[in-house]
Amino acid sequence: MAGYIQGRNVSLTFRPPNRTPVRALGGFDIDVEEGEFLSIVGPSGCGKSTFLNVLLGLTKPDSGEVLMHGKPIGGPGSDRAMVFQEFGLLPWRTVQHNIELGLELKRVAAEKRRAVAERLITLVGLTGFDQHYPHELSGGMKQRVGLARALATDPDVLLMDEPFAALDAQTRDLMQAELLRIWREARKTVLFVTHQIDEAIYLSDRVMVMSKRPGRAKKIFAIKLPRPREYEMRVTPEFNDLKLEIWNTLKDEIVV
Amino acid sequence: MAEAVTIRPTFAWRYRKVLLGGLAIVLFFAAWQAVFLVVPFDPLFISKPNLIFAGLVDLVDSGDLFHDLAVSAVPFFLGLGAAVLIGVPLGIVMGWRVRVGYALDPLMTVFYASPLVALSPLLVIFFGVGVAGKAIIVFVLSVFPFIFNAYAGVRAVDRLLINVVRSLGGGEWDLYRKVIFPSVLPYIVAGARIAVGRALIGVLVGEFFAASEGIGYAIARFGDLFALDRMFACILVIMAIAVVLTEGIRWAERAAFPWRIGQ
Repeated sequence: MAGYIQGRNVSLTFRPPNRTPVRALGGFDIDVEEGEFLSIVGPSGCGKSTFLNVLLGLTKPDSGEVLMHGKPIGGPGSDRAMVFQEFGLLPWRTVQHNIELGLELKRVAAEKRRAVAERLITLVGLTGFDQHYPHELSGGMKQRVGLARALATDPDVLLMDEPFAALDAQTRDLMQAELLRIWREARKTVLFVTHQIDEAIYLSDRVMVMSKRPGRAKKIFAIKLPRPREYEMRVTPEFNDLKLEIWNTLKDEIVV
Repeated sequence: MAEAVTIRPTFAWRYRKVLLGGLAIVLFFAAWQAVFLVVPFDPLFISKPNLIFAGLVDLVDSGDLFHDLAVSAVPFFLGLGAAVLIGVPLGIVMGWRVRVGYALDPLMTVFYASPLVALSPLLVIFFGVGVAGKAIIVFVLSVFPFIFNAYAGVRAVDRLLINVVRSLGGGEWDLYRKVIFPSVLPYIVAGARIAVGRALIGVLVGEFFAASEGIGYAIARFGDLFALDRMFACILVIMAIAVVLTEGIRWAERAAFPWRIGQ
């Protein structure tokens, strides 16, 4: 059976002018099933974000192929949307108009855009903040907007590039729970890149560990914890065993 | 009673910036006036505030001042308007199209850095002493702040926002409309502050060289006639206009770009 998203032998080298080329991905393979929550952890610079950009259609690999529904990815498309680490909100737009951005680019009529934005503002818990500007929001709220914006075009796949890395630890815990709630309601396939093993286990159906640069899939862990996930699961022996196992796989790849 | 005690220092404290600034201006004019208590006063070489003020009242009464200002306003706004319409798109394209930027940057820098006002006599010869000649001098002086600020603004555009719009399916035109232009707008307004000052110089210089009316002409003529009180009155009016325009733009900046405050 062909996977929902398939990456086959994907390689990519960055060639910045006047600097040594960087091999970000080298023979990277991945299979993502429809509706699953897959996290990717790996050392810094291992190409995990690069792969998300390839999947998003912003970057082309040098070789190998990335397929979705069996078709190669040719560029950005409304079946995929990204939640960015640094939020990427347009500072001159209110919360509502930031969320509407994708629909605007698809030339959706204003009333329909507003209806979608209203629904998503409720879903991500930003009721009453629709007319606020990003600089008036906390980091957690900004990322709620980022998430709502990605959901607005109703993509099948949500790509999340360390979305909570810029948040403080407590906000981060809350946002993880929020994400799980939203994911239950919106039912998307999620690819989630993170540095935090805890976060990856808590959220995911499967966790992929990547090797150091040039990035390859090193090992995949199935997370059998029942859903819905509860915060208490993070202190169970089962959770900690997984964490240790993943850490042992990951630590050899980390170059200090 | 307790209220009266607390409110008065609050007023002075709250407006201390304006009050201190205003005080310096008042002191400046007072000193100017007072200097002639010791220095002999010769109206052929200098004027003093009480005479200037009387001259100003006279110019306002006769309607000459407003006539001259209205005449000067035409080339000022035509030249400045053309500078916005040409400077902003040129600067944006220079910033976004790297090769256009490489090609034009040195040439534009040469123009911006050089005292273009020296070309004024030549421009008057080419384009005449009418509105066109003056508007072109204004344009030549004020277009470069728009070009360079728009250029700098584009280069400061957050690449992440470009990727956001691209990833949501936006094309080249969407990038200009949704990201580049809104990012650049505050830079353009900041450029306008500089451009307005240069445009005023342009009008005055244009009218010094060849004109029969307008505020620059009035300054030159009153100078020639040794009517220094009126000459200074006109100069003060120009100064006031320059301050009002630049401060007005500064105020508009804060009102129009609330998101910049936090940056």
